[in-house]
Amino acid sequence: MRRRNSSTGAVGGRWYTPWVFLVPGLGLFAIFFVWPAATAIRLAFYRYNVVSPPQFVGGRNFAHLLEDQRFWTALKNSLILLVGLLPMSVVIPLLLAVLVNQKLRFIQIYRLVYYLPVVTSMVAVAVAWNYVFHQQGVVNWALTGFGLLDEPIQYLLDPGWALFALTIVEGWKGMGTYMMIYLAGLQAIPGDLYEAARMDGANAWQRLRSVTIPLIVPYFAVALTIEVMDAMQVFTSVYVMTKGGPQDHTLTLGYYIWSAAFEQYDMGYASAMGLVLWAMLIFFALLNYRLTKGRTV
Amino acid sequence: MRKLTRKVSMYVLLTAISVVFIGPFLIMASMALKPASQPVFSFPPDLIPRPPVLDWVKEAWTAVPYPRFMLNSVLYCGVGIPVYLLVSALTAYPLAVMTFRGRTLVFFLLLSTMFLPGELMLIPRFLVVSELGLADSYAGVILPGVLSAFGIFLLRQAFAGVPREIVDAARVDGCGEARIFWRIMLPSVRPTLAVLAIFGFISTWNSFIWPLVVLKDSAKYPISLGVAYLAGITGSDVRSMAAGTLLSVIPVVVFFMFMQRHILDGMKGAVKG
Repeated sequence: MRRRNSSTGAVGGRWYTPWVFLVPGLGLFAIFFVWPAATAIRLAFYRYNVVSPPQFVGGRNFAHLLEDQRFWTALKNSLILLVGLLPMSVVIPLLLAVLVNQKLRFIQIYRLVYYLPVVTSMVAVAVAWNYVFHQQGVVNWALTGFGLLDEPIQYLLDPGWALFALTIVEGWKGMGTYMMIYLAGLQAIPGDLYEAARMDGANAWQRLRSVTIPLIVPYFAVALTIEVMDAMQVFTSVYVMTKGGPQDHTLTLGYYIWSAAFEQYDMGYASAMGLVLWAMLIFFALLNYRLTKGRTV
Repeated sequence: MRKLTRKVSMYVLLTAISVVFIGPFLIMASMALKPASQPVFSFPPDLIPRPPVLDWVKEAWTAVPYPRFMLNSVLYCGVGIPVYLLVSALTAYPLAVMTFRGRTLVFFLLLSTMFLPGELMLIPRFLVVSELGLADSYAGVILPGVLSAFGIFLLRQAFAGVPREIVDAARVDGCGEARIFWRIMLPSVRPTLAVLAIFGFISTWNSFIWPLVVLKDSAKYPISLGVAYLAGITGSDVRSMAAGTLLSVIPVVVFFMFMQRHILDGMKGAVKG
């Protein structure tokens, strides 16, 4: 399809032309991505508290990981968050997308409202939800009112509830993103496919199952990638709402890394944890790629 | 008739769901506007302020240097986003339309950064920024954010979609590379630039963790940190906290309301690639 003008490319110029364009981007890339990433890998093998010079400790940081109970707690909490967020990044947003994909007047406004939490800062969201979860907040009022609860609960201070409450807040904030992704997917499906399905006598549920879902699998892949990246790195909500408490029940990997680095000034250990997190993210990304590619081909 | 009931029930359902998404904000707004004589919390919840007052908004505005924080955020967005757009476009352009040795390598190197956890980068980036003498400076907040794989990725798609004939015609007229980029290619991808500007604005306005790490001087805080700062100062005063938070939310929501129609297009572009 595309015509190539010369051996240097579709757009002319000398051999160095592309590199002239690339200089600012690659320069910043080297300074703010490559250099820090290399530093992180190196630091993971050092003991470093910012004040005194780094001291080489070999694999000791990684050995410490294995016996550090708090690390395992953080990992467990992050994985619980990841699983807990699944319904709020796959099922509910897809239903929302189907709802706001209708040709109705003012539908734009509903899309906007459902997207609102995405636009606002996590700090603001955390403040708002603190009031919702307050001992005298609406959740406790509703639950005690319906007789589902005898005593009001302090959700963010209760070991049994804190992580669940955090999951709700994170899920609520992210839903709009996934809804928009699925909505983009739905709008890319040609309308005559539905017409054909309808002619064959397929009902709404069958149309969703055999037309909609297969065709938005690539969008699921994107959504899942984002979900895993976000869930494994939850930090701000924990920082603002619970500080990892009560008794480490909301200690996430993201928060523990931050706390190890900037509260305990154990930069080497924090970097080691960061590397492990990086490896996990790559693993999840590959897994996701394998699973969803297998479906579409 | 059946069609009408279907329509009405749809609106009822859509509105009921809306409550879930704006409810927490409404509760916050109600607290921010309640007079001192009215209890903040009560069973059953009493959400209508009688009468609405602006006392807490004023208190939040003056308890911490809010105007200053707002100005800082405007500065971070006003400088950061144009630079972000320019750097992303400059990087994406050759990757989209030129063939050269190393193109695939450069592209995949840039893409690979998408999986770097922010927390891992936090420490070494802080060290790098300190070494460059940019710690606790405006530049230190802005610079690391002006390059993102997402922006380059999206713009590469957009540049590749510009009809080749336009460029050929320009070259016949004796246009140089820089001129083609600036005068023809950039204007052709304006919709994508708009999408990136929106996402850039939202994330810069709300950025929390990086400014928290890089800044010591609270006079340079963006508004998102300002809210947390307010919480530290006002302690348990929920009303001025609610008011202050509301103030931080309004600008980004207004901005988004005017620009929202571009977002969906951006999502389409991002996934298709």
